[in-house]
Amino acid sequence: MLSFSSFVQKAQQLLDPTQGLNLSESDRNPSKASLFQSQFRLPSSQHPLYEITAELTIPPANATQGGRDRDLGYQYAGKLHLSEAYLSFSTTPSSFLQSASTSTSSIFTGQTHGGGPGGNGFTFPLCAIRRVERLHSQNFQFALSISTWNGISQDAAKDRDKKDLKEQRVTLQLAGSRQACERFCDGLKKGLRANVGNVAKMKKVTAECYSEYLLRPEDKKNAAPPDAGLGMMFKYPGDPKKLRDRAKMRLWAEYLRDNGRNMTLIRQPTFHKLIRVGLPNRLRGEIWELTSGSIYLRLENPTLYADTLSKFSGQESLAIDEIEKDLNRSLPEYPGFQSEEGIGRLRRVLTAYSWVNADVGYCQAMNIVVAALLIYMSEAQAFFLLSALCDRLVPGYYSTTMYGTLLDQKVFESLVEKTMPILWEHLVKSDVQLSVVSLPWFLSLYINSMPLVFAFRVLDVFFVEGPKVLFQVGLAILRINGEELLDATDDGAFISVLKSYFASLDESAHPKSENPKLRAVTKFQELMVVAFKEFSGITHSSITELRLKNKDAVLSNIENFAKRTAIRNLGPDSKLLSTDELGALYDRFYGVLYERQQRDHIIKQEQARRARTSRSRIAEAASEGDHGVEKGRVGLGPSTSLMDYDAFREFLAGMCKWAISDAPSTPRREASADKEKGFYGSFRRSDATLSPWGAGPEPADHEFLQRLFQKWDTDSSSALTLQKVVSGLARIKGKRDIMGTITYFFELHDNDGDGKVDREGILRMSEALLFLSRRGLEGTLNPTNSSLTLTGDGTNGGSDVPGQSVNERFLGSVSAFIRRCFEYADPDHPKNQDNAMPKLQAKLGSIQLEEHEGDELANPDAFAIGDDDDEDEDDLLAMDSPTASPKTAAQKPDTQPPTLQPNSTHLSPDDRRRVSKAQSVKANAALDPSNPLHITLPTFRMVVLADELLEQFFESSFPASFHIIEGLASAATPKSASSLTTFSSIGIGAGRAVNAELGAGAGREGAPGGAGAGAGAGRGLRGVLDNIVTDGMRVAAEVRRRMEEAQRELEKNAVAGQQQRASNDEEEEEDEEGFRGGEGGGGAYKGDAERRSVRSSDRDLLTGADAEASDGAVTDVGEGEVGRNGELGAAEGTGKVVGVEFDG
Amino acid sequence: MADSNAPKPSSSVKLVLLGEAAVGKSSLVLRFVNNDFQENKEPTIGAAFLTQKCNLPTRTIKFEIWDTAGQERFASLAPMYYRNAQAALVVYDLTKPTSLIKAKHWVAELQRQASPGIVIALVGNKLDLTNDEAGAGGDAEDVGAEESGDARKISTEEAKTYAEEEGLLFFETSAKTGYHVTEVFTAIANAIPETSLKTARGPGAAHAASRTEEQRVNLNGPRDSNAKETCVC
Ligand SMILES: Nc1nc2c(ncn2[C@@H]2O[C@H](COP(=O)(O)OP(=O)(O)O)[C@@H](O)[C@H]2O)c(=O)[nH]1
Ligand SMILES: [Mg+2]
Repeated sequence: MLSFSSFVQKAQQLLDPTQGLNLSESDRNPSKASLFQSQFRLPSSQHPLYEITAELTIPPANATQGGRDRDLGYQYAGKLHLSEAYLSFSTTPSSFLQSASTSTSSIFTGQTHGGGPGGNGFTFPLCAIRRVERLHSQNFQFALSISTWNGISQDAAKDRDKKDLKEQRVTLQLAGSRQACERFCDGLKKGLRANVGNVAKMKKVTAECYSEYLLRPEDKKNAAPPDAGLGMMFKYPGDPKKLRDRAKMRLWAEYLRDNGRNMTLIRQPTFHKLIRVGLPNRLRGEIWELTSGSIYLRLENPTLYADTLSKFSGQESLAIDEIEKDLNRSLPEYPGFQSEEGIGRLRRVLTAYSWVNADVGYCQAMNIVVAALLIYMSEAQAFFLLSALCDRLVPGYYSTTMYGTLLDQKVFESLVEKTMPILWEHLVKSDVQLSVVSLPWFLSLYINSMPLVFAFRVLDVFFVEGPKVLFQVGLAILRINGEELLDATDDGAFISVLKSYFASLDESAHPKSENPKLRAVTKFQELMVVAFKEFSGITHSSITELRLKNKDAVLSNIENFAKRTAIRNLGPDSKLLSTDELGALYDRFYGVLYERQQRDHIIKQEQARRARTSRSRIAEAASEGDHGVEKGRVGLGPSTSLMDYDAFREFLAGMCKWAISDAPSTPRREASADKEKGFYGSFRRSDATLSPWGAGPEPADHEFLQRLFQKWDTDSSSALTLQKVVSGLARIKGKRDIMGTITYFFELHDNDGDGKVDREGILRMSEALLFLSRRGLEGTLNPTNSSLTLTGDGTNGGSDVPGQSVNERFLGSVSAFIRRCFEYADPDHPKNQDNAMPKLQAKLGSIQLEEHEGDELANPDAFAIGDDDDEDEDDLLAMDSPTASPKTAAQKPDTQPPTLQPNSTHLSPDDRRRVSKAQSVKANAALDPSNPLHITLPTFRMVVLADELLEQFFESSFPASFHIIEGLASAATPKSASSLTTFSSIGIGAGRAVNAELGAGAGREGAPGGAGAGAGAGRGLRGVLDNIVTDGMRVAAEVRRRMEEAQRELEKNAVAGQQQRASNDEEEEEDEEGFRGGEGGGGAYKGDAERRSVRSSDRDLLTGADAEASDGAVTDVGEGEVGRNGELGAAEGTGKVVGVEFDG
Repeated sequence: MADSNAPKPSSSVKLVLLGEAAVGKSSLVLRFVNNDFQENKEPTIGAAFLTQKCNLPTRTIKFEIWDTAGQERFASLAPMYYRNAQAALVVYDLTKPTSLIKAKHWVAELQRQASPGIVIALVGNKLDLTNDEAGAGGDAEDVGAEESGDARKISTEEAKTYAEEEGLLFFETSAKTGYHVTEVFTAIANAIPETSLKTARGPGAAHAASRTEEQRVNLNGPRDSNAKETCVC
């Protein structure tokens, strides 16, 4: 019913597509910043500020080995980027196109196709740069010589003659206009200056890198090595000889000596080759940290890990309990995890992460991944690497809904279908679901599937090339085992084949081959070759594309599942509501939360964008952190499931007319009547401001709403869960029992829960009644037998409708309610001895005997009044028309009989009567504040039941005013056609005919003229109604003022401040009244002259040629008999044609 | 559990275990497959896969068991496992009322989303923690906190009534003592309709059936020796 993709569409409407802020657009077309960040694996604080084409030259003098000719490898063309704290160079296309391989020449296609730091180049933190010199070059305008801190320890820096010291120096020739080059250099200068302070931080971070120890100078020969994981204590997995660990270490030592290490490392082709061969044990952690970019996270906040642990020390959480359960089953075969040391490290890293990322917390499989990391790196390193994994490398894998995992399984399945159609078909036929087998591969990054030594080899490549590696390896596994898998016909057989394959990865792939070289190739090597050669077509961009394609389906599956689960777990109160109602509530609840979050985010982005635009250059930086754009969507793991008061207001405004504000404070665009609106409203870009309520109506903020919120918020946490909302609504709407609703309403106003509502409370109740009824009453109302006088002069000749509208009569009922409450509140009052009381009691008695209910049901006159019921509203007009001022009538171009009364000061006879009632109230001794009074629930019941209309209000109207399922779809805006005074209400005769023809809701759009007329007329009528409501409120205000006057007199010694406040309140109230009056009367009326003319001419058109008009209208709408017949004819026609075609 | 000599018809049945975390799903499976009770040392990612045969007088049923992971968030992966299951064990903990609510949720979910003919058994586990004659047994020390009293929070009556309403098989078990564990699986095996067995797997061609047979033989070799091993693929 409500799909989140519609939210996405709404969001798109708000967004300027060129900004790249757009929701789905941000996936399809990620912002430059996020591409930049993922290419260089930089933290989200970094934006590409300047970029320039450049050529990187690594002088041969830097080479440690003479003799070998490696000149060719020393020059690279690419792009140089400057961000806030980094200078990065890459030969991969720097336009950050994801489809690098297709759109750029192959020279620029790095190994990762845009997915990571695959190209040649470097990522220097600015604080790692010691010096930048401008060289004089003949070929280029600008050449910079950059020397880094590499190889220069602090002492050595002072003593630069040391022989073993080799400064790392590279040359960059900038190719660009003089201006561009200068701009870049200026930026670089500023950046260098700004980052000087970070040198100490960097030293601290690099001190934990094993490479520093590996290449340590002679004089530090005996220094203790930094922590390179549990492997240093418990041995690294695998046989070091077989792994040729020493040889690898020597190769790396050489490479790092020549090309810089950790922060100052330069990536050349050898770097990628060395990674493919497998990393040496002691350097593995550091290289993972570097290629995944987690080292830059650590550089940003080197103490975050330790700080987090100490900050939350001793605290408990659900995540911690879950972590504890899994500690003993995380790589239990590795000796390190049979010891307290290993278990302790694992516990600390998982716990710290669960604190810094509470949205993810802890997810099974993280234990295995972190355990694996800890074999090769320190706790802090593993902590940041886990961050990089969850946020960037495998986003959504470990989230509370695990949507990333499910999505990638879908992607994997579609890749298998595409690349191995025969196997796929076999799987489908045997009813084997591939993902039950492949899900653990992805979720645990193969760590739990392959023998550890091989899983780590996969990880080596994964960290540098990104998630596509997981897919390539998975596809290769299936390809290699294809034959055997085709023989497997159930889960068991399938699993068994793969299990024995994984167990034999170290065996020869070609044991029977004559060729010893071939025989020496292991199955794992074969796997790597197949994965990266045969499936080289699987790129970051193809994965991204497939993810996009499957995303909506996966998310809505999760959301449907979550919804079913949530609805089943709503507790016993939920049984009072129907499944449809619960479903609708669920959608509304999360819809509002989601939309509010989106709006919030977008508003912030917009502000940030504007701020940035004003800061000239940096405008390029576009948006930051668009990973967050979709936060809040249920399928992604909602970031909140709590509704605060504002959200609650918005939630109610989606289904209750009375919850919509009368006087929106934020300017709204002219409501477009032709635009279909969901209950959740929609984003719309207004030119000046982004409304905090989106395009939905602004919710009212009435005391009643606050009370309702507090009442539903049973544990006073200032936030509602879905369960609380359901329980709250169930009490109003669920039982459909008048006594329950009356009790509920009473309790709502019984502040201290002592069963008594005082003077103040009585006034609040009546204000609430007026508030709730100000847009008209809904539900089943019995128009006859009202306690008020019936005028009975219906204008429709022979109509059985009373002359006074139900809504008007209700105002009378409310003022009678106040009067009676005050009468009965004071038991000593003589009035209570007269006949009113026995009557009421008699009535109450009859209800208790349930006779009344029978009467009610049997009453043949009962009829429904709702949005579409026009009869009562006609009568409202009829009542008002005689008093219309001739002046107003003269202004109108036509002389329609149902003129409207815009004059806010006008008092109908009934209003006058109410004022006099108020005066009589004044005489009531109960109003004397010195006379403490209250009403109890039985009294309240009695008073309510004394008035038939009030009774009906509680019986039907109030519960019915919550449109849980259907919402206020077409009634979204108070000023438009479908508020209480629909245009149909104008109509006498012809008007009503129009309405009948158009039907409710659906038809309106079909006849724009009619709808426009409706809107105009509705506005006029509203003015009248506002007056009436205002009058009613005035009665209450009047009573209150008198009371307060009396109160003031009695409390002359009261604190001045209190009095001040009281009178302020009063002023505000009066101001509001004045405002409303103005708006309702003159204000709203201004535009109506033209509107009315439009409406009347339309109506003339429609009434003038009844049949014709109806045909026209019906055809427009595409509904109705004539239209249908026409369509039918057409359908028959095509049917024949088709038939002929088939025959021929 | 060795194969009987007679060439009884044999077919495999996919069974999924569902229920709140820590109700004893893995323990029940371990008891059934291995007749053992111990802390689970196997890391479970998504779901663990185990197989076990069940000999009926007229046929042999090979259960392919998917033991789903305990963590709440893995619930959204559950459809993957119950999608084409022919049987389900929905487990709750007799001493934990919320676990029955969760179990009811899973029953509703299965009835709505799983294959129409799925056989569902509702199982109340940890009977050894109650005072019931039948379930009490093993060492009493684990009864611990509820030493004097009965830790049972969900009456047999309540669960049984619910199971009858929903048409479920119903058992109270103890994975710890082994009480009623095999009975659950046997009852399920008996409840699987003959027709569902024939059409359950593959294209139904005779050729495919024979291949399944072969496969089973292959499988049983390594599997019987280390049947407790869960899926590590
Ligand atoms: N006393 C008792 N404890 C049990 C029983 N079955 C399982 N447990 C314990 O309950 C805990 C959770 O069991 P486990 O099988 O992991 O539950 P799962 O999360 O549903 O798979 C473990 O500590 C088991 O030892 C039982 O029948 N009786
Ligand atoms: Mg388990």
